[in-house]
Amino acid sequence: MGTNTTVNYKEEKVVYYKVLVGLLLLTAVTFVQPHLFMTHSTFLAQMLIAVVKAWLIVIYYMHLKGEKLIGSMVIFALFLVLVFFVIVIGVDVTNFQFGAESYITAPATTGAEHVTAPAHH
Amino acid sequence: MAHAYVPEIAVDREGNEHVVQGWQDDFYGGKLGFWLFMLTEVMMFGGMFLALAYYNTLHPQDFLDASASLNRLLGGTNTVILLISALTMGLGLLKMRAGDVKGSKLMIWATILLAVLFLVIKGFEWTAEYNHGIFLMHGEMLPESTMAFGKKLFFGMYFTMTGLHGFHIIIGIGLMIWLLKRINAGKVSPEHYILHFNIALYWDIVHLIWVFVFPYYYMIGAATGGTSGH
Repeated sequence: MGTNTTVNYKEEKVVYYKVLVGLLLLTAVTFVQPHLFMTHSTFLAQMLIAVVKAWLIVIYYMHLKGEKLIGSMVIFALFLVLVFFVIVIGVDVTNFQFGAESYITAPATTGAEHVTAPAHH
Repeated sequence: MAHAYVPEIAVDREGNEHVVQGWQDDFYGGKLGFWLFMLTEVMMFGGMFLALAYYNTLHPQDFLDASASLNRLLGGTNTVILLISALTMGLGLLKMRAGDVKGSKLMIWATILLAVLFLVIKGFEWTAEYNHGIFLMHGEMLPESTMAFGKKLFFGMYFTMTGLHGFHIIIGIGLMIWLLKRINAGKVSPEHYILHFNIALYWDIVHLIWVFVFPYYYMIGAATGGTSGH
């Protein structure tokens, strides 16, 4: 899309409103889901709904439809976060998580299960 | 008065003049650069979400209990407010591209108002939580309190992430006010709207982050709690 491209205001406005209706409906689904369907997998259901909402926003509101370069950059960035996170968490889990001091599990003095847990060093 | 681009001229040994390539009107370059910035935002919040997911596997029941205690009514209202603000911002850009500068400015003002409303509601929510002793380094969140450790982690991440998101909202309001000044000065126009385009993109990513923040914090424990929360 260039800076001087012509715009069909009415046509594009309709797309914006259609996406709004879609997002509002999905927000309503977000509210009723825990009581209506996939009640034992609320987390999974909520994240799936969020992904659909995000897809609508990215494709239509953020104009990424047909933008192959930027689209692949987004996927690459998400992949990068995942890879680094897995490495960092992997190191944490194997070295520190079950040590005497941890900031992500209850302190050893208050949780009996952690007192007896073997330290993986 | 719009900025007039004056091309730079280079002269070769034979005295021939050549126009040096200027990149001031490189719309795609401007958009690509801003997307690179937004990817750093995605990586920052993405890392936080992954950390949250990992903590969730360590303390699943505490996370459900803590989520159930949040105010879904206020969180849901803010979700709808951000959703409508994304529309007003998008329509503002559309109006600008179509040549309706006045209509575009009105839409930006509407977005600013909705953003302020979001912050006010968030302020009420945080105040109620503070009064219930739930805030960073306060009351129930202090190390010596009896609150379950997983809940402390959940609320710690909740205040960090919603606080960071709120900070982005404040930055967004500042950017929109700056955009209005640039439009008034004629620096942003239907012919040169890359700044408007990128600020609309910024607002969309702020909305996008909330699309994941809301269900993760407010909805995962919804089956066990009511709607009012704290």
